[in-house]
Amino acid sequence: MEKSSKLLVFFIVLTVIGVIFITRLFFLQIVDTSNYYKALAYGSNEITIYPARGTIVDRYGKLLVYNDAVYDLMAVPQKIKNIDKLRLCNVLQIDTNEFNQRIKKASKYNTREASIIYKSLPFNIYSQLQEIIYEYPAFFIETKIDRRYNINGAAHLLGYMGEVSEKQLQVEKYYKPGDIKGVSGMEKSYELYLRGIKGKKIVLVDKFSKQQGSFAGGKFDSLPTAGQNLIASIDLNLQEYGEQLMKNKFGSIVAIEPATGEVLAIVNSPNYDPNVLVGQSRNRNFSALLLDPRKPLFNRALKAPYPPGSTFKTVQALIGLQEGVLTPDTKYPCHGGYHMGSLTVGCHPHASPLDLEHSIQQSCNAYYCFVYRSILDNPAYNSVQDAYLKWTQYLNSFGIGIKTEIDLPEESPGIVKKTQYFERVFGKNWRSSNVISLSIGQGEIGLTPLQMVNVATVIANRGYYYTPHVVKAIGDEKILLEQYKIKHKAMINIAYYDSVIAGMARVCKPGGTAGRTGIEGITICAKTGTAQNPHGAHHSIFIAFAPRDNPKIAIAVVVENGGYGAEYAGPIANLMIERYLATDKTITSRKDMLDRMLNSNLVGSSVYDAPKPDSTLRKPLLPLTAKP
Amino acid sequence: MNYNRPEETIRIDWLTVIIYILIVSFGAMNIYSANSTIDHTFVFDLSMEYGKQFLWIGVTAIIVFLILIVDPKFFNFSGYGIYVIVIVMLLVLLGTGVINKGAQAWFKIGSFKLQPSEFAKYATSLALAKFLGTFDVKFAGKKNIAICFGIILLPMALTLAQNDTGSALVFVSFFLVLYREGFSGWYLVIGLYLATLFVFTILFPSLYLILVILIICATVFYFFKKYNQMLWLTLIVFFSSAIFILSVDFIFAKLLQPHQQQRILVTLNQDVAEYYPRKAKEFSLFKIDANRKDKKASKRDYSYNVRQSKISIGAGQWFGNGFNNGTQTKAQLVPEQHTDFIFCTVGEEYGFVGSTTFVLVYLFFIGRLYYMAERQKNDFARVYGYCTASVIFFHFFVNVGMALGVLPVIGIPLPFMSYGGSSLFSFSMMLFTFLKLDANRVNEVSSVY
Ligand SMILES: [Zn+2]
Repeated sequence: MEKSSKLLVFFIVLTVIGVIFITRLFFLQIVDTSNYYKALAYGSNEITIYPARGTIVDRYGKLLVYNDAVYDLMAVPQKIKNIDKLRLCNVLQIDTNEFNQRIKKASKYNTREASIIYKSLPFNIYSQLQEIIYEYPAFFIETKIDRRYNINGAAHLLGYMGEVSEKQLQVEKYYKPGDIKGVSGMEKSYELYLRGIKGKKIVLVDKFSKQQGSFAGGKFDSLPTAGQNLIASIDLNLQEYGEQLMKNKFGSIVAIEPATGEVLAIVNSPNYDPNVLVGQSRNRNFSALLLDPRKPLFNRALKAPYPPGSTFKTVQALIGLQEGVLTPDTKYPCHGGYHMGSLTVGCHPHASPLDLEHSIQQSCNAYYCFVYRSILDNPAYNSVQDAYLKWTQYLNSFGIGIKTEIDLPEESPGIVKKTQYFERVFGKNWRSSNVISLSIGQGEIGLTPLQMVNVATVIANRGYYYTPHVVKAIGDEKILLEQYKIKHKAMINIAYYDSVIAGMARVCKPGGTAGRTGIEGITICAKTGTAQNPHGAHHSIFIAFAPRDNPKIAIAVVVENGGYGAEYAGPIANLMIERYLATDKTITSRKDMLDRMLNSNLVGSSVYDAPKPDSTLRKPLLPLTAKP
Repeated sequence: MNYNRPEETIRIDWLTVIIYILIVSFGAMNIYSANSTIDHTFVFDLSMEYGKQFLWIGVTAIIVFLILIVDPKFFNFSGYGIYVIVIVMLLVLLGTGVINKGAQAWFKIGSFKLQPSEFAKYATSLALAKFLGTFDVKFAGKKNIAICFGIILLPMALTLAQNDTGSALVFVSFFLVLYREGFSGWYLVIGLYLATLFVFTILFPSLYLILVILIICATVFYFFKKYNQMLWLTLIVFFSSAIFILSVDFIFAKLLQPHQQQRILVTLNQDVAEYYPRKAKEFSLFKIDANRKDKKASKRDYSYNVRQSKISIGAGQWFGNGFNNGTQTKAQLVPEQHTDFIFCTVGEEYGFVGSTTFVLVYLFFIGRLYYMAERQKNDFARVYGYCTASVIFFHFFVNVGMALGVLPVIGIPLPFMSYGGSSLFSFSMMLFTFLKLDANRVNEVSSVY
């Protein structure tokens, strides 16, 4: 190739590159407008439109939980340039140091994305800010949702909201820093239904005309979808009544509609007002509740296993009947208790011998020692251990020793020991006499109040239960989740319930262990229980359902240090049943019993003050409720 | 023979000087735009880089003046000397780098960082021109070719040893000069082909790549089989390509350390965190072990620069936002915008019309330099002119190509535009040395013959 023609090659190469570059420029700058929009978006702010969180109403449609709007001041740190800092700080009522600090913190997190500069703007600041915000293109106000509660109890049931942690932010892309989500109770377990879908709006900021315009004709905007409303199975009236009854006592009440498994009330005491865990004071009040030695945050109904005491005799009788080691006519003697060698299980004085029905009415301890030993020493099994294993399977079929899978977070499975446990304690060949206390529901067994009411439910239904649940319908379509339509069957033949129920029906009538707690006109089937408490007075326990035929309510009550079952738990349970079944909710036939319950104090005077809701908590300006 | 100095000044190629002044001023404007903030707007604010750039421009004017008054014979005379000095400087840097356990590419003089690799291009140009300009030396014969390669590869290797991949790659531009001096163009084509294969091998499954080449070779053979030896040619191309691909794959996947792999990946604009899992799953002869990934592997998205660069340029549309008005530019969204990504500012603030004009002017400028190089009457000046044009051309091609997202991210400055004293000095020295030689070409005639 001639040398001068090589120069031509250079020129050709230059031309080709020029063509490539200019074509590329044409594509980037003229053809592909997405780059242009992305750049324009920088001169705009993407505002998240938070959806209305689903509301919660009780089983009769009374509003329990709704929304209020809160306003956060947001800023994109990178865009903060040449602003009248002093004026903004004056409006925000913070000094410039504090302001700089907040901006610094925000830019540390992410300089390109909006962060919260001022959380939950007080209303006066909010309205002043609205006037000047357009002069600060890096800043904008985002409207968020906070919760308000129409009840000052039921906190464990409803749950509370909390700020999303940094760890969760990384896992769940739905949330942004500063967002709140349900962290306990229904707010947590139904978060996915309640939260809805966020929308967004991109607004162009025009510093000079003091206007915020929609960007690209709203092409990139999206509307939020409101969260789904929930219909709780709770009876607000019953819930509040229960909370009054439990005042100045420790313990809990759980009531269930046996035919459906719908939870009618979950009362925990001590309780707290859910309205203290909202807004600005959430964190402060939460620490106060956490430090309170009475543990008001502790959900006893679901998490505290108590020995069921004599209420457990109903289960023992049913298992005995099913195993064929007991008939309704079986009689056992009782002379002040059960004696065998050095072993004695005491009993109160009563007629002897008793049959099954009367053993429940009188709550005879000796009777159930005989029953339980006949279950464990049943020659049909190779060993006591095998018989015990079978026995635990019976318990599991009642929902004892396993989680009930209720639609609330953090549930305890209670306590049912494995055979290995007794092998460790009593040696490999342990005998039925080693575990004799289990016959009367003491010792190595624990039921949560929820599991206790589940036992009552199984008996009320004569053999089955539905998984307890607190939400009876979701959304406009009023959907009931599939898992609550499944019947769980106890391993007891339907024929065996009659005698046990007959015994339970005698408990609240004269001659029964809770003979003075009955309600006129209602046949309450019940069983008293007393859990031995190594730390102090016995726990008063009561399970019941009513009416006897076609039961409408099953209930379990535990009153810590309340003594015998008939002393506190019984009256409270029966008052609750009366209230639920009555058409007129204002009267009671047992005014005497009600007053005694309301006026009793098992706690003593406390030096700890429960946190009070923020007094500045204004009535919602704009109640953001989803469609009713 | 050099007594008529006023006459020479008249012969300076003023067109080139004017374009040079335009580009440098335009560069300063863009640096100001990309670098000035609300708090810093004063043009000569020396605490800001745009302010320093004005200082560098002033210093450059002095350097240019000095070059213009020097006897042009000086450049020929001192060609090897300057080359040796720069090589020694690079060696010293390398030495201190070894001692300090960290590669360093500059000498610190006060607050100014002198980057010898920038001057290495100048020195190499002079040395190469001097060698090929020697009486009776041509780019032919094993010995001469070896010397030329040595002159180019020595500073290239030293720069590479300082981890300055971008600056090292620039030395490739000297092969364009060798092409002008008789090096077969096929070598350049083969070189370009192998470089492309190298990049593709790292980005795509090697076995698929080989399959694609097989199909291309077979197709070429099918349509051109009437030519003699077509079978052999296509077979050779196919097998050598396959061997090349497999060895690159093997070396990359099995021999290189994770940090070395990552350096290549970053240059190729790859997201390291995403690359390894993808590569480990790929149908490939030499599998990358995803677990071998460096623990310190940054999760940073390396494509961020290019993405932002494209957005900036795209934001310009037809006419751009105007001087100092680019939203992306002012927000400093593109990292290194005042240095390696200065072209983004041009794109955003002057739009398609401005950028196209800029590209055309710049290409005309380079073309003019090639034209001027070709018109030289002695070998030294011609070789040197080609060196100057080729180095500037390579920089322009790689830099703008990178900003446009058509080439990998190789951090080298855009001559006369990017912020930086060393690069402005060295490019201006290179250019004006050539202008001086060009101005003197009439007087040089006698010395050649
Ligand atoms: Zn007895």
